Amino acid sequence: MGSLLQVLFDALSLGSLYALGALGIALIFGVMRLVNFAHGDVIAACVFALLWPSVDAVAIIFAGNLPWYLLVPFVLAFGAALSVACEALVFRRFRRANPATMMIASFALGFVIRYFLLMLFSSRPKSVSLLPALSQPVEILGARIPLLQLITIAVTMAVLFGLTAFLRRTRFGLEMRAAAENFTMARMLGVRANRVIMGAFALSGALAAAIALILGSQTGTANIMMGASVMLMAFIATVIGGMGSLAGAVLAGFLLGAVATVMQVILPPEARAFRDAFVYGAVILVLIFRPQGLLSARGTRERV
Amino acid sequence: MKRLMTALAATTCLTAPALADDEKIVVGFATAETGFMQAYDKPAQDAAMIRIAEINAAGGLLGKQIEVVNADTKTDRAEGAKAGLTVIDAGADMVVVSCDYDFGSPAALAAESAGLPSFFLCAESIKAGIQGVGPNSFSASVLAAVQGATMAEWAHNKKGARTFYRLLDTWTEYNKGICDGFDWMLPQLADAKLVGEDTFLNEDASIAAQITRIKALPEEPDAIMLCTMMPGAVSAIKQIRAAGINSMILNGSGVDGSYWLSAVPDLSNFFVPVQGSIYGDDPNPDVTAFNARYKEATGGDPSTQYVYPGYVMIDVWARAVERAGTTETAAVVAELEKMNAEPTLFGPRTFTSEIHHQNRARYLIVETKAGKPGVIDEWTISEAIPVAELMK
Repeated sequence: MGSLLQVLFDALSLGSLYALGALGIALIFGVMRLVNFAHGDVIAACVFALLWPSVDAVAIIFAGNLPWYLLVPFVLAFGAALSVACEALVFRRFRRANPATMMIASFALGFVIRYFLLMLFSSRPKSVSLLPALSQPVEILGARIPLLQLITIAVTMAVLFGLTAFLRRTRFGLEMRAAAENFTMARMLGVRANRVIMGAFALSGALAAAIALILGSQTGTANIMMGASVMLMAFIATVIGGMGSLAGAVLAGFLLGAVATVMQVILPPEARAFRDAFVYGAVILVLIFRPQGLLSARGTRERV
Repeated sequence: MKRLMTALAATTCLTAPALADDEKIVVGFATAETGFMQAYDKPAQDAAMIRIAEINAAGGLLGKQIEVVNADTKTDRAEGAKAGLTVIDAGADMVVVSCDYDFGSPAALAAESAGLPSFFLCAESIKAGIQGVGPNSFSASVLAAVQGATMAEWAHNKKGARTFYRLLDTWTEYNKGICDGFDWMLPQLADAKLVGEDTFLNEDASIAAQITRIKALPEEPDAIMLCTMMPGAVSAIKQIRAAGINSMILNGSGVDGSYWLSAVPDLSNFFVPVQGSIYGDDPNPDVTAFNARYKEATGGDPSTQYVYPGYVMIDVWARAVERAGTTETAAVVAELEKMNAEPTLFGPRTFTSEIHHQNRARYLIVETKAGKPGVIDEWTISEAIPVAELMK
């Protein structure tokens, strides 16, 4: 019982990470059909926002020293601001470009962010002690679970409920949903496009910052490549969830987390090294049977 | 005719620098000055420069000053081959290549085809040498397998560890090397038992599932052999301790250094093998003196033990040149291969015609206790790991 519960928590916490990432990508895809590959680098930049630029082996902690009630808003604001800056400086110029061009632009932007971090901090991974109080086990029904896992799951749930309420209950949320469904029509009906897109980028940046906080306190490391693996899984989650569908992205994120955790548990030791191959195999199966994704977004469906 | 003369003159100009210069000895560094390998190559190279400066100050090698030429591999394999050729063209008598086998081998192969000796700065794979490059290639460090074997035998003999758990990060050959050495040693230890094993990936955001498996054991294992490297190592160690597992954690040298300890406050029961101590408590006071010279030269203390192989490299090569009385490749390689437990600042070194790497070495054992690392012991494995075992 205890170990089953443990596996459940492992799956939920990993899934939370992927779900938050997938949500950040799906939000932007929804309003402007852009697959933002710079998202992973925004995550890395948010972790480095805690440090003072230096190429020494020992990290100089800067914002990381703030008490948590200042630290968390600071990182969230940093992520949102960086993401909005990406939109204002780069993606706005590509508003009328086709999605492939925008995707390439997002790759390029990701490289710019990554190499900027490389210049400031060097390639050497840095250690940060972020929210050390979370690195403690807690006892629940016979399972000893790291406190951070519980917080990760709780935060993700809170974000999901908050975002749902925001999208359904506020005028801004309504505009965003309208824009996601049919951008041209929404504009004609008086939705201010730039404001909606800015809003989507700010939310997506804040989600990236939330992932950065979780990853930072889980791994204790700041590394310029650290966003890449989460970004890849999150992107896959948005694809199997159905491009542009927020609920689908979240569902697929949790599914991916669950599949990866279960594979690690049930595969024999020799096959465990190839766990990701099995996970991606499952992804291919899903796409064969549901090429449009688990929950396809209304706006992306072909209209005859 | 005139055109022929011009052509001849041009070829002479091109080949001239490659001819041996009788006034000086040239060491060529085809290493990473940019890109992520720079963080690994630069410290060892700085240490090599310190040994070169010492030799030059003492009158040089064979009465000649050692000069250094550099070419940047840009942490790229194709650029690595070019960098190798560049330093060879600049007249290098010995070529120093990048720390890692994958990144260093293109330049080492270039040296091999030019008939020059080459040294990997700190590669720890059996391939970095005769087996992967050729008969004139050496590595200045110790095989990863020796680190795994050392930790297993030491923990068994000195800490009474009997139940072991093996956790392998399948990212690099280095990681696998540590666990291979551990696997070779374990069956030789009386009553020692492997109670479980698992793998993860360096970039895994979470190793919760792996930790759950350890916790599902009826008893916490005495020791966890953790075969991984930075940056994933910090994350794995942090998560193991956050889950309340207090077994001793055994590692390779790749996690040496105090720069990352802030990420796991108050870490205890954590053991690393090192060639020399960066913590100022090396049993050999000359190592502490070297640390001070390193700080003087670079402005900072050594951040890990991977500084030291650079110093050993120039040291053993220069002795071989001195004994051979020439920089000619065959003579220098023959002298290097005669070295049997040759004393160096960082322990004895042996090269044979079969292996240009250390398959047995003295290691200092560093224990981290309440977040403070320090040397507590030293250990040399009871027998060298057979080459056939390393080639598996």
